[in-house]
Amino acid sequence: MDRRRFLLASAVAVAGLAVLPAIKPAYATPALEKLEKELQQRLGVQLGQIKEVADIKLTAPTIAESGANVPITVESTIPIEKVEQLWVFVDKNPTPWITDVKFTPMNGQVYFSTRIKMGETSNVRAILKLKDGSYVMATKEVKVTAGGCG
Amino acid sequence: MSVGVGILRVPKEAKKGEVVKVQMVITHPMTPPRKDPATGQTIPAHNLTKLDLFFNDKLVSTINMGAGISANPFIALTLKVEDSGVVKIVYEDNKGGKWEKTADIKAI
Repeated sequence: MDRRRFLLASAVAVAGLAVLPAIKPAYATPALEKLEKELQQRLGVQLGQIKEVADIKLTAPTIAESGANVPITVESTIPIEKVEQLWVFVDKNPTPWITDVKFTPMNGQVYFSTRIKMGETSNVRAILKLKDGSYVMATKEVKVTAGGCG
Repeated sequence: MSVGVGILRVPKEAKKGEVVKVQMVITHPMTPPRKDPATGQTIPAHNLTKLDLFFNDKLVSTINMGAGISANPFIALTLKVEDSGVVKIVYEDNKGGKWEKTADIKAI
């Protein structure tokens, strides 16, 4: 092998190495795989594309005694005119999708409160779709001492 | 337990332009599909699927939900009151049940 061929071959090899890790997402743990699938199906985006922002306030207990009844509240200072829809996901539930809420300017502000079920300790995510097509979210971990699914 | 009975709570009076809370509780089991441990047969899911909030017959919010919401769901939203009117919720479940509930708000 002459020098030119060797350089070409090694360049191809290095390029291949660089591409490989991109194929498999680094966070592909089994729990998040299910979430990713639901996100792709319902929102059409990946978790990595959603920006975490501070102006969504997700209120949930740090420790929930019963997973059958976890009160959550989503509030935001983002003007309601800019917001289209809200989703709530729980990472490790058998069905991560909990609910989605469509807002209109008649709501006056972004506010939604309900009680959800959680199977085990997991992240709760509130994802907002803005009118410009971008997605923003807030995440909070809730520790569950007794699961509430099934 | 009577499935589908709802309580809708709004303030009786509100200032024009005020944002008020609309709170509701609906009696519903909200069970996911599961296997009966004794017989092994599948018990189908029974949960609310959709809830619409109207103010003076104009759609304010649509909530889609699954069995991830707790039994006897409590839901709270906000509404901007520009005029007196009727708040109405219409909700349905996956077994064909459909119910509605109304409440009045007077703008002052």
